[in-house]
Amino acid sequence: MKEIEEKIKETVKKLFKENKIDIFIGYSEGTLPLRSTPCLITRPEDIEKLVWNSYCFNNLAVYLPRFFLPQTQKKDVKLPRIGILAKGCDSRSIVGLIKEHQLPRENLYIIGIPCEGMIDIKKIQDAGCKMKEVEIVSAEEKNEKVIVENEDKKKIELKKEELLADVCTSCKYNVPVIYDVLIGKEKRKTKEEERAAIIEEFEKKPLEERWKYFQEQVSKCIRCYACRQACPNCYCKECFAEQTKPKWIGVTDNISDIMFYQMGRIFHQAGRCVDCGACVRACPVGIDLRIFTYKLIKDVKEFFRYEAGVSLGEVPPLSTFKSDDKQEFITEP
Amino acid sequence: MNNPYLPIPVTIKKITIENEARDIKTFDLVFNVKKDIEKFKYTCGQFAEISMLGIGESPIGIASSPIDEDLVQFTVKKYNTGVVTSALHNLCPGDMIGIRGPYGNGFPMKDFEGKNLVIIGGGFALTTLRSLTRYVLHEKNRDRFKDITVLYGARSPGELIYKSELKEWGERDDINVYLTVDRGDENWKGRVGLVPNVLKEVAPSSKNSVALICGPLIMVKFTMLPIMDLGFEPDKIFFSLEMRMKCGVGKCGRCNIGPKYVCKDGPVFTYEELQRLPQEY
Amino acid sequence: MENLKLKIIKKKDVLNFLDSLKEEYNILVPKEKDGDIRFSEFSSGEDIPWDYRNTKISPKEIFLPRTETLFSFKEGTLTPSDSGGVFAPANEPKGSAQKTDSNKRTANYLIFGIRPCDAQAFSLLDKLFGGDDFQDPYYLKRKEQAVIISLACNKPQITCFCTSLKGKPDNEEGSDIILFDLGENILTKPITKKGEEFIENLNSWFKEAKEADIEKKNKLMDLSLKKICSGVDLHNIKEKLDEAFDISLWNEIHQKCLGCGICTYLCPTCYCFNIIDEMDHETGGLATSRGKRIRCWDSCMFSLFTLHASGHNPRPTFKERMRQRIMHKFNYCPENFKEIFCVGCGRCIRNCPVNLDLRETLASLMSFGSMSKDKKV
Repeated sequence: MKEIEEKIKETVKKLFKENKIDIFIGYSEGTLPLRSTPCLITRPEDIEKLVWNSYCFNNLAVYLPRFFLPQTQKKDVKLPRIGILAKGCDSRSIVGLIKEHQLPRENLYIIGIPCEGMIDIKKIQDAGCKMKEVEIVSAEEKNEKVIVENEDKKKIELKKEELLADVCTSCKYNVPVIYDVLIGKEKRKTKEEERAAIIEEFEKKPLEERWKYFQEQVSKCIRCYACRQACPNCYCKECFAEQTKPKWIGVTDNISDIMFYQMGRIFHQAGRCVDCGACVRACPVGIDLRIFTYKLIKDVKEFFRYEAGVSLGEVPPLSTFKSDDKQEFITEP
Repeated sequence: MNNPYLPIPVTIKKITIENEARDIKTFDLVFNVKKDIEKFKYTCGQFAEISMLGIGESPIGIASSPIDEDLVQFTVKKYNTGVVTSALHNLCPGDMIGIRGPYGNGFPMKDFEGKNLVIIGGGFALTTLRSLTRYVLHEKNRDRFKDITVLYGARSPGELIYKSELKEWGERDDINVYLTVDRGDENWKGRVGLVPNVLKEVAPSSKNSVALICGPLIMVKFTMLPIMDLGFEPDKIFFSLEMRMKCGVGKCGRCNIGPKYVCKDGPVFTYEELQRLPQEY
Repeated sequence: MENLKLKIIKKKDVLNFLDSLKEEYNILVPKEKDGDIRFSEFSSGEDIPWDYRNTKISPKEIFLPRTETLFSFKEGTLTPSDSGGVFAPANEPKGSAQKTDSNKRTANYLIFGIRPCDAQAFSLLDKLFGGDDFQDPYYLKRKEQAVIISLACNKPQITCFCTSLKGKPDNEEGSDIILFDLGENILTKPITKKGEEFIENLNSWFKEAKEADIEKKNKLMDLSLKKICSGVDLHNIKEKLDEAFDISLWNEIHQKCLGCGICTYLCPTCYCFNIIDEMDHETGGLATSRGKRIRCWDSCMFSLFTLHASGHNPRPTFKERMRQRIMHKFNYCPENFKEIFCVGCGRCIRNCPVNLDLRETLASLMSFGSMSKDKKV
């Protein structure tokens, strides 16, 4: 980890020195244990702040579209050159954004990092740390272990493998699919089949049970729109949820309105969602959004033989059609 | 406890289309419950939230004057993106809506007494200035104010609002009215020129005078230079600002410029006050 | 003399105590819900999580719910009696069951076990929703009759910085009664007249506090105060920010902000709201001629917050919105209410998806050069 961190700093130093980028987006140390935080660097002296560890879960691609907004693309305004650190999932978001013409590839310098998985803080609670009652005040990563210290000054050793987020344990593309330079080891073994298994298990349940689960989950929603803001694909200037003409969705706790928002946003991700987990992590009330995104990804794979964000050359399925596309969902509901 | 969120029911008595493009209308409203007139005592420059139940609310400056005792008038421009203004323009006399107010600080009429008034309006923003002009021209009030100069311009002759009133004012000898348009047409015999330029020509004296400016931001911006050149002090120049509002009573946190809320501490501000506030509007 | 008012109730008696008040009060307590703690209606037999740190969603939702009906209307008419919704709003806070039936008004709230920072936040909101010009009857009527019993903090969290904002683990501002968890016993201290009367009326449940109890409480509070070590010196933040509107630091502060509403939604002192009309729909979707005017939480961090119908937006980017949030809490509110609208509860820090730390932001603002000389944006 430390090696990779050093290599990252070296590379970024070089990029600034050779005047190849104006801004670099990476991670720096967070102010809370087990957290790193996105970091935007414009000055070479800030490069020392950069870190690489198992807390770098934020999808940095979300920051890219704001540098390339249409109003800045006037003739005399020079577009910035952005360097960015990209894990596997982040890189697939970048591919998606390039395909949707939100980012010019030539203005990006992507440092790809094959990712070994990011820690989900909630899993530490499961690991018996009783984090809610006794707070963790510091944490240290040591090879394959994470040593946390709580406020009673007790040190607990945990296996990193057991703390990885679900989205990471079933990750298929931990090696970035797009990069200008790659720093780190190659592909690691993951339990890709886990994700498929979760969906298949859920699909077997009767309709009423599934619907009840959806309702239970989305009724927690407080309409903070963190899921939307954290998602790199949600870059619409005016979201359907906030349109007034026409007004699509109400603002109350009416389950129909909340369901419409959640489902609407998820469906807008069809063929685009890369399962980075940013929405899940951002949600303050812990809605199980992955049950929706998993299903969407599965369906898109089945109907269109397509996985989002893997290849720059592939056209997103909802932007085109092939004559042999399955049509049972239209003709045989 | 008075509930400031409840609208007062009013009925539309008359609708007047003010301009050629037919997107500015004046609504004459009468109170459904006669007693409610007492709740709605207003001064020039204040605004009210026009309430369309089921659709929403919109803050609109009061166009009628406190001297108009039986009714309240609002001049509303329809914005295609505006849900309320669009719906309002589809109404007919006899339809019922609500109003909440009056809100805002209004023009400090007492401070204007004994002074010359230079009233500068652009386009559709003449509404509250019209309220003020009607007030000062009334026989009960006229002698408390000195010279009154009205300079009003619109993009084209068809876009001038309150045409009949402007004509009446022009025929009076106790008020100087200068009308101008950015672009004339074949029937227009009056002045052609931008408001700031006409202001330079008319050159009203700044001695013992106050200037009241309401108009599109760009007009206001370019009017500032000649106004200052004429010697008007920043605390003698008054604007009426617009801001997105919801509650209208300074609670929802939306319409502030720095610590001041446009709905409560405004919408009327002097140039001096605006200079002290953050430039964020 | 003060110490005479201090009383003791055994922790194991508290549940019965609250039970006895169920008919008279709408009792809200911190409760485990969906993996977190949230203020919900008290149920007999369910223990209070005495060791809870703080709720995720602040208890401001009790008096300022996420959505509530201001009034309802029918066929374009508004009947004044509909404003009875003020007292018994149609949307109760999540987790608390509808206690009202249409004839009986909601009982007074009894908020039990709120943290002192959140109680202090209520006193700030009182200044906003009360005030000389317009009063907000929806917030005030609920708040006025509520009895607020706070629970002093034995274990502040690493994100707590109440001491930077006139707070402390046993702060009394905004509470009617404050409780201290001594282990087996709960020490109670009335603060307001309402609190005194409350305890007096229920005297049979309490015993006099002994010297040992009071000593234990003092010791706990000393320890607790020492635990709060992350803070920012904010003694003159308002003055510093007076000159800070145009400084270049704002260009950096907003950079990693996502523009989600989490910080404002969870904050106990954020109050910005939206007012929206909605028509009722029959099952099946047909619109009726009945509707409601609804108030719901809004956030200055949302991009459409200040968007005009003309398309103009005075705060078009993250920078202006972040600046507005900070200036509002730490400069404009002190200007208008003589109070900083922050109580140091740490929710925004703990829950921000990108770990944008308010303490860091404030520290950089406090130490940002000599303001007038810094280059303007």
